[in-house]
Amino acid sequence: MTILIQAKGLSKSYGSHQVLKSVDFSVKRGRIVGLVGPNGAGKTTILKSILGLTSYDGDLKVLGLDPARQRHQIMQKVSFIADVAVLPRWLKVENALEFVTDVHPNFNLDKARYFLSKTNIPMQARVKELSKGMVAQLHLALVMSIDAELLVLDEPTLGLDILYRKEFYNQLLAEFFDEGRSILVTTHQIEEIENLLTDLIFIRDGRIILDATMEEVAVKYIEVMVSKDDAAKAEALGPVMQRDVFGRKVYLFEGISREELEPLGELHSPSVADLFVAKMKEGK
Amino acid sequence: MTAIKWNDQQPIFRQLKEKVVELIIDGEVSEGEAVPSVRQVAADYQINPLTVSKAYQELVDESILEKRRGLGMFVTESAREKLLESEKDQFLNVEWPKIMQRVERLGLSMQQLIDEKSTQVEDK
Repeated sequence: MTILIQAKGLSKSYGSHQVLKSVDFSVKRGRIVGLVGPNGAGKTTILKSILGLTSYDGDLKVLGLDPARQRHQIMQKVSFIADVAVLPRWLKVENALEFVTDVHPNFNLDKARYFLSKTNIPMQARVKELSKGMVAQLHLALVMSIDAELLVLDEPTLGLDILYRKEFYNQLLAEFFDEGRSILVTTHQIEEIENLLTDLIFIRDGRIILDATMEEVAVKYIEVMVSKDDAAKAEALGPVMQRDVFGRKVYLFEGISREELEPLGELHSPSVADLFVAKMKEGK
Repeated sequence: MTAIKWNDQQPIFRQLKEKVVELIIDGEVSEGEAVPSVRQVAADYQINPLTVSKAYQELVDESILEKRRGLGMFVTESAREKLLESEKDQFLNVEWPKIMQRVERLGLSMQQLIDEKSTQVEDK
């Protein structure tokens, strides 16, 4: 099976407020997919639906299973880290390991011990005695020791300092991710993971407004720094956004070929953050 | 490998490829030596493993790297020679004509250039 998540017409309403408006997307095996959107756009609702933590309308298959009805089977092959740390404060690290060993058939205790041995976390410590960074390390050690095909990360590095954040993704790449697994990640610190992603999904007001591989993004979106004399020519090509840098204009184009843009100036790939800002302003 | 600052004008796999080429030409990675695994490079630079694979694959296609089953990726015995050859080609066919054009435009004579070179060498 190459498609791990398939959503068709996925919708969700809270009362009269529709937070997901019939979204379609899929996540293939071996991919790292960034799901990016402002607060309240529907990201967490999508993740919760995938994990079987909320009801929804429409069609959703995770590993070929129905999250609403087959959550137990799905959770054997799916793991997740949410932005709100959920480890009980009184729990000792060694008890946490025992607990996961008992409840999870695909948990590898030796692996978890090995990952923890590389940190400064004492096995006897209670969660409340650990720093926020250490709690994240503990979480990661537990999650990476589960032989999961899909890892869902919801703002996994929120509130961590730069060293822990770097270490977090370093560990994931060095010890967990391979072509047999996929990672679906939401984060506001998009610049930290943009080189990590294979695919990008933007969501706004419950609708998907961009869904492409990073290669497609690089072909479709091009930034050009244009001198004032050529500004009119650039504007005639219909840029989706413009900003001023040192008296020159930087235009972002969508779907215009490199050949057409090259005469105007130096071509750049926009950062995901710049692209995000442009797509969020579009049509508003 | 040392830190790489990525630019936004070229795909990262190409920049990584150039970095590896540079390391081989400068002799920092010798012929017959292993290069770091895809996983290692991906983790070190926080880039997608597919990006690293793509860079390595192009170098394999150009016979700069070779895959040894179960052992990983190695610099081929003729890598440095090949790279120097293609760098020289690149210089003579692409860069040198541009320099010559500029020399002509500025009206410099060969003798002036040679004299300039010897004074520069003396200054060192």
